[in-house]
Amino acid sequence: MSDPRVTGELRYSQDIELEGMLHARILRSPHPHARISRVDASAVPEDVVVLVPHDVRDLGYYGCQIKDQTVLAQEKVRYAGDPVAAVAATTPERAEEALDLIEVDYEELPAVFDAAEAAADGPLVHEEIKLSENDAAYFGLRPQQGTNVCHRFRIRHGDIESGFGEADVVVEETYFTAGAQHAPMEPHAALARWEGDGLEVWTGSQTPFNTRMDLAGIFGIPEEKVRIVCPPMGGSFGAKTFVRLEAIAACLARKAERPTKIVLDRDEEWLTLNRHPATLKVKLGAKRDGTLVAKRVECWANTGAYADCGPGVAQKMGFASPGPYRIPNVWVDSHAVYTNLPPNGAYRGYGQMQCTWASERTIDLLAEKLEMDPLELRLKNILKDGDRYCTGEIMHDVHFAELLQRAADAVRWNENRHGKGLCVMLKGMQTPSRASIAVEASDNGNYTVLCATAEMGQGARKAIRLMAAELLGVEVEKVGFPDPDTDAVPYDTRTTSSRSTHMMGRALEKAVEDLRKNGRRGYGEVVDEGGLDPDTGQGVASSHWHQGAAAAEVEVDKETGRFSVKRLHAPVYAGRVINRPGAELQNEGSMIMGVGTALFESVNFSEGQVSNANLSDYCVPAAGDMPEVLTHELVEGERAEVHGLGETALPPVPPAIGNALHSLGINITGLPITAESVLDAIDRRDEERTRSTLPSQEEPATEGVAGKNGARRTYAVAFGISLGALVVGLLLRSRRIAAAKRLVPRRLAR
Amino acid sequence: MIGMSAVEWLEPRSLEEALDLRARYGEDATVVAGGTFLGILMNQGFLRPVRLLALRGVLDLDSINQENEGLVLGAMATHRVVERSGMVREGWPALAHAFSVVASPRVRNQATVGGVLADADYASDPPAMLAALDARVVVAGSGGRREIPVADFILDHYTTSLEEDELVVEVRVPGRARRAVYRKFRSRSSEDRPCVSVAAAEVGGGLRVVVGAVAGRPQYFPEACALAESGRTEPDLADEIARRYAEAIEPISDARGSARYRRRVVAVEVRRALEDLYRE
Repeated sequence: MSDPRVTGELRYSQDIELEGMLHARILRSPHPHARISRVDASAVPEDVVVLVPHDVRDLGYYGCQIKDQTVLAQEKVRYAGDPVAAVAATTPERAEEALDLIEVDYEELPAVFDAAEAAADGPLVHEEIKLSENDAAYFGLRPQQGTNVCHRFRIRHGDIESGFGEADVVVEETYFTAGAQHAPMEPHAALARWEGDGLEVWTGSQTPFNTRMDLAGIFGIPEEKVRIVCPPMGGSFGAKTFVRLEAIAACLARKAERPTKIVLDRDEEWLTLNRHPATLKVKLGAKRDGTLVAKRVECWANTGAYADCGPGVAQKMGFASPGPYRIPNVWVDSHAVYTNLPPNGAYRGYGQMQCTWASERTIDLLAEKLEMDPLELRLKNILKDGDRYCTGEIMHDVHFAELLQRAADAVRWNENRHGKGLCVMLKGMQTPSRASIAVEASDNGNYTVLCATAEMGQGARKAIRLMAAELLGVEVEKVGFPDPDTDAVPYDTRTTSSRSTHMMGRALEKAVEDLRKNGRRGYGEVVDEGGLDPDTGQGVASSHWHQGAAAAEVEVDKETGRFSVKRLHAPVYAGRVINRPGAELQNEGSMIMGVGTALFESVNFSEGQVSNANLSDYCVPAAGDMPEVLTHELVEGERAEVHGLGETALPPVPPAIGNALHSLGINITGLPITAESVLDAIDRRDEERTRSTLPSQEEPATEGVAGKNGARRTYAVAFGISLGALVVGLLLRSRRIAAAKRLVPRRLAR
Repeated sequence: MIGMSAVEWLEPRSLEEALDLRARYGEDATVVAGGTFLGILMNQGFLRPVRLLALRGVLDLDSINQENEGLVLGAMATHRVVERSGMVREGWPALAHAFSVVASPRVRNQATVGGVLADADYASDPPAMLAALDARVVVAGSGGRREIPVADFILDHYTTSLEEDELVVEVRVPGRARRAVYRKFRSRSSEDRPCVSVAAAEVGGGLRVVVGAVAGRPQYFPEACALAESGRTEPDLADEIARRYAEAIEPISDARGSARYRRRVVAVEVRRALEDLYRE
């Protein structure tokens, strides 16, 4: 059977075309924070439709959790890349040329880029923080008015002071994780058309119903007047969630009275959505025998210029940061913080990688201090069936100990621990949430599944069709699954957090049962209740927990800090497997993204501008970067629930690698783990070893000419001088320096 | 993709025609060889040429020949062709290796010998190796042909001694390099450009060590290399030369490593390159 993705038959979002449609381009701010003093588009020729801030000032604000976005920047821009104007023309080239004809004057404002700094002080990115009515704002939001904190989530479990009072050993560390770009093969693409007062949008999106809600709010029309169709995406990984280009496309289409399409250029992806850079401070206390007694965590998730789903990310980062352990006293403060960086949002795992990195690195710090085997320390405190998590919920179908043991076995942990590291993780799934699905029978024995689950390469359609075929007792070819269309399919929360196979699978069982009763059409719905009190963190964090572990083995070049991963293994709890090849690919894909995060992925900035917005300067994992041995396993349970697997194997990878380095005395706190940061950590280790032995001890042979000066400095990501040098070089080379100077600043932000 | 509609495309069929166009337009026509570097610049909007002078159609610029003892690489020979050439692999294996570690096969199928020199990007692999082999760039212009050592051809970041009416036509590598090595140190992905690269070769009885990717141009210090002739024995010698290179180079900082880090790596990688060289 030829796969339409291989034959080229599959129509992705960017392939959708309508007769007479225009192509749009976006003019973006070159400044990270500035007042807009003038926008003049009078030079744009009449055949090009132009949208300026004035055109959209009466439209509603939007934002899936905080209502903080306007279709175009109004009085000020909040990041280098913020859309200021947009044009639509008969060709993308014509539109591109027209952008040069729009003049914008800015008065620069002081900007802030670091989340912890922005939370403490710093210029306000938004003067006021208003809550959204969108379904995605499903939890109690706690914006801190007058600050840059747009949500604060807390866990208060037990008594933290007396907990640390009981501790014999306490470790404390601060961690940093860099931002990352999803880099899907297909960029964002959206096409909008108006029919009277009704809006239709074809968009590669994981969130058709959330997007419909926000668009209806922007234009002040009932939701039923907005139709969202989601063709398959050429990858997303969280990037294509909530309103991205849809509002600009819709405004241009309305003004032009013609369908309008936007497809982003590759570099614009970095200006549209990235993963949250985060700072996490962890303090962990234990008894001499390794029993955990107290944990205190502070998280700052850098959500950039607009909140997007940052509050949700910060909340998940917070509630998962205690890890899969029994800890009687837990104190967590997690913040989603505005800065003048491009917006950060959903990224495969949704805050999970960041908190797992901090949490699991700290376990190994503690093990070292206790002089205990890190596996033994973990197993001693691991959550078991029937245990209560710090949110108060009771854990069921728990497999953490088994997963951890399997990970350890894969690297022959019991033989020696040199160069080896472990990680275990618990990850929540979107809660509360609702999934509904309809199944229709036709006369020729075929069936159609009407379902909002979006296909982004994860194989959701295949899994749902397989489940439907099994329930209906027919061949899978008899089950059709058209593109999600909000006019045709019943409501679903969204295709995120690895929830679709699990939630839709259950809804499908009801729909098929209903179909048997009614003949033509069956409808099924599942609602998972829950949620947490934002001030105490008590309640139900997740109706269903994802469980994963990883083990890594590394080899380090002591002279350069360059290291290689010899072996990587990730066991995940899969419950009942629906589509085995698909499930395996999800695991492998997650692990590969985890390797990228661990080794080199980092969105770099120079004064707020992304300095590596291309796939040459920004590294994504290549075949040559893979561990010598990369394996994984699906741990299955008889009569178990279906478990989503889209993200589970990613977060455990970086900590397993970090802990493998730790076993060699190389203490890394920041991601990615650059060769330079490893060399610095080796210097620190050797210094300490020298200090702790005889003062006359010889200097280690690995010390190079640079000596030990500055070895203690905190490693900060050096940003791309390659880009800076390039610009300078081009300016030198060009005889039209004046023209180039005008050109470069604007293009830099694009 | 961007603004292509407005770009004039010049596609000469002969070198004479190409040189005429080059003389006529100078910097007003951007020369395109493989386009791998230019493509990124144009897609990101750093460069928006009004006119492109494409060399793809020029006959006989992509040959690889042996003349006397030396190797002659045509300016339009792709990295992939050089890396796979039996002649190059046989006589100049380190050079074939230096071309083979550039980016990915997709890029190497496009990128050219002349392009990588004329771009003068500090983070490219081949220039350091060519400089270590004492290769010469042959350029042609309205005033005829001239030969420039690679080490003098690249002046600084993206800056060469190429005149506005000149084109790179070939690169001449002298003699067979019996002993030569190229070490590419990557600090990030396996497909990334080097953080530090070291090319070392024995040419005409003397040692030439060239360090790439650390400064605006390939770094060569003849005085340090001359130590190899003073009768000292390795490994002392390798250490000493490496130490001198690390001291002499003023490295840049970029996303691949800070200046401080690069200095450390230069000391290690130069020593390793010399160890490799003398092991052969």
